[in-house]
Amino acid sequence: MGWLGTLVLVLTGPAVAATTAQEILAASDAIRNPDRPFGLTVALVEYREGKQTDSTTLAVYSKSDPASGQFRSLIRFVAPARDANKLMLKSGNDLWFFDPASKASIRLSPQQRLLGQAANGDVVTVNLAKDYKAELVAEEDMQDGERQTRRCYKLALAAVSPDVTYHHIEMWIAVASDRPVKARFFSESDRLLKTAYYRRYQLQLGVERPTEMVIIDGLNPQWVTVMRYSDFAWRDVSEQWLQRDYLPRFKPE
Amino acid sequence: MRELWLIALLATAPAFAADEDAAALELADKTATQPERARDWHLFAEAAWSGVALRAIDATQQVERLSLGVSFDNVFSPDWRFVFADRFDAWWQQSPSRQYTVNTLQEAYLSWQPQPNAIADLGRINTRYGVAYAYNPTDYFRTDAVRATVSADPAVQRENRLGTVAARGQALWNGGSVTALYSPRLADRPNDIAFDPDFGATNNTDRWLVAGSQRLSDQFSPQWLVFGTAGEPPQVGLNATALLNDATVLALEWSGGRSDSLIVQALSLPADTAFRSRLAASLTITTADKLSLTAEYHYNGAALDREHWDGLGRTSPASYARYRSYAASVQDPPTRHRVFLRAFWQDALVSHFDLTSYAFIDAVDHSRQFWVEARYHWTRLDLALQWQHNEGSPLSQYGALPAKSIVQGLARYFF
Repeated sequence: MGWLGTLVLVLTGPAVAATTAQEILAASDAIRNPDRPFGLTVALVEYREGKQTDSTTLAVYSKSDPASGQFRSLIRFVAPARDANKLMLKSGNDLWFFDPASKASIRLSPQQRLLGQAANGDVVTVNLAKDYKAELVAEEDMQDGERQTRRCYKLALAAVSPDVTYHHIEMWIAVASDRPVKARFFSESDRLLKTAYYRRYQLQLGVERPTEMVIIDGLNPQWVTVMRYSDFAWRDVSEQWLQRDYLPRFKPE
Repeated sequence: MRELWLIALLATAPAFAADEDAAALELADKTATQPERARDWHLFAEAAWSGVALRAIDATQQVERLSLGVSFDNVFSPDWRFVFADRFDAWWQQSPSRQYTVNTLQEAYLSWQPQPNAIADLGRINTRYGVAYAYNPTDYFRTDAVRATVSADPAVQRENRLGTVAARGQALWNGGSVTALYSPRLADRPNDIAFDPDFGATNNTDRWLVAGSQRLSDQFSPQWLVFGTAGEPPQVGLNATALLNDATVLALEWSGGRSDSLIVQALSLPADTAFRSRLAASLTITTADKLSLTAEYHYNGAALDREHWDGLGRTSPASYARYRSYAASVQDPPTRHRVFLRAFWQDALVSHFDLTSYAFIDAVDHSRQFWVEARYHWTRLDLALQWQHNEGSPLSQYGALPAKSIVQGLARYFF
C-alpha cells in the first residue's frame, strides 16, 4: 500500500476502513451481478497441461433472495449430449440435481461436484459481500487479466458463515472502477484452492461486466478452466420455480 | 547452503506464480468457444456384449444387445409443451439361440402451463418419487413399469421404464407445491408384445396420488404423499433429506398404510390386512477426491420374515417362484431387511474415468449381489466394462438368481 493509503487507514481507524472495504466489495458484486433476475449461457472449457480436456455449456437463470440477498440459480446442462437437460438448483447450500432420464431429484452436498474442476459454486452468481467480511489490506499496482497494470484495492475476505464454498479470499478490485480483477480462494487450512481472473469486460445488461473468468487450480496450475458468459438477458424467474418440485418442469428459453 | 537455496526458492515463488498465471491467460486468449445451443431432441445408441455364467448348468451364455433411445421435449407455444421418450431394445442370445425385442414407450404427454405457478399434464407420464438410491417405497407407480431389464443397477432400471397414463395437475407457491394425479384403468393385464404401449402394465387399475412439499427452513423441505389404488386402503409416504455437513447427506423415505402382505398378494391367499411400513434410510459422504460413499438400509414390512422365507422354498417351489416373480414385478425386496452399499469415484485416477461399485446384502438370508463398473467417456462416446456376481444359498434372494456372474462390455454413443 502506498504511504497515503497507510495514512488514511491510520487516521480513519479500522472500523471505518472495514465499512469502506465492505462497500468496495459490494460495488464489485454489483458489477458482476445484475440487480434483477437474469439468464445467461456459460461455456466452460477445461485444460490440463495445456490440452483441452473438457467442454461444457450451461444455461443459468438467477434471482436474488429478498431475505438473504444471496442468489439462487437454476442451471440446465446444454452440452455435452450425455448431460443435456440435466438440471441443478442451487440456493445457498441447498443443492438439488435432477436427471431427466431417471426422473430422480437427488439432494447433493456442496462437496459433490457435477463439473470437472469447477466447484458448483463457481458457475453461479454469488454476492460475496453477503457471505464475507472484507478488510482493506493494501492498495497496489497489479497486472489484470488483460496484462494491463491497474491500481487495485487488495481486500481480505473472511467467511461469516461456515456454509460457503471458500473459507477466505484475497481479492483485487480496481480503484477507478470497482471492477473485480483477480481473486485467490483459500481453504480453512490456508491452502490455495484456485486463482481467478475476471476479464473481457463488455456492456451487458446496462453495465460493463466481466464476460470471462479464468480459473487456475491452486494445487496444479496446469489445470485451467475458462468460463465464458454470453446471451445475457433479463429473465422473469418466478419465485415458485426455485424449489425441488419445479426441477422436472424447468426449461429455459 | 540449504538456507540459501530456501531463500532463493522463496524469492522466485511469486515469479513462478506470475508465469503460471500468464500461461493460463494465454491459454484463455486462444480459447475459441462457441456455446452450444439447446436441442429439443436427443438420441443414443448402445451396443452390449454379455457373458452370463449360469448357475444351473456349468456353462456360459453369450448375449448381445442393441438399444436405441430417443427423447423429444418441445415448447410449441408459450404455454404448451410436448414431451416424448421411447426406447427400443433387441437381444440376440446363443445356446439356446433366441432373438427378442422390446419397445418401451416411456413418455408421451402434453403439458399446459397457463400461469407460472400452475401446470396441467395429460398423457403417459413417467412420474417418480423417492430420495433413496436403491429402493423407493414412495415410488408408487413402479409396479410393472420395467418392460426390459438391461442391468441390475438400480439407476439403469429407473431410466428404462414405462410411464403411467394420467391426468396431472401441479400448483406451486413460494417454497412449496402440491401435485394431484389420477391414473385410470385402461386395460386388464401386462403383455409382452414387442411394440405394444402396454397400458395393461401401467393402467390395469384406477390409481391416484397427491404429493405436497413445504420448505420448513432454508435447508429442510419434506415431501408428503398419499396414494390410493381402487379397492385398497390408501398409503401415506414421506421423503426427507438433511445436510449433515458440507460433505454428508442423510435421506429418509417411508411409506405406510394398511395392506395385505406380499405373499398374500402374490398367491391370492385370504386377506391378512394390517398396517405395514416400508422404509429406506441412506447416508452419502463425498470426499474432496470426488469419491461418494453411500450406505442404505431397506425395510419391507410386507415381505416375508426369516422363518417364512426359509420355509417357503422348501415347502412349495411353485409358491416360491410365484412370490419371487410378484416381488420383482412390484420392485419390492422379497425379504424384510436389506443393506445397500455403493461407491462412486468420479474421475478416478484419470479424468473422464469413473469407477462404480455396489453391493446388495440381504440381511435375512445373507445372500449378496456385487456389481462393479469401469467407464471411460469421451465427448459423445462411453465405453464401460461391468461385472456382476450373485452369491448365497440355493433359495436365497441372490443365490437363487439364474446367473452366477455376468460380464458385460458396452459402448454408448450420444448423437
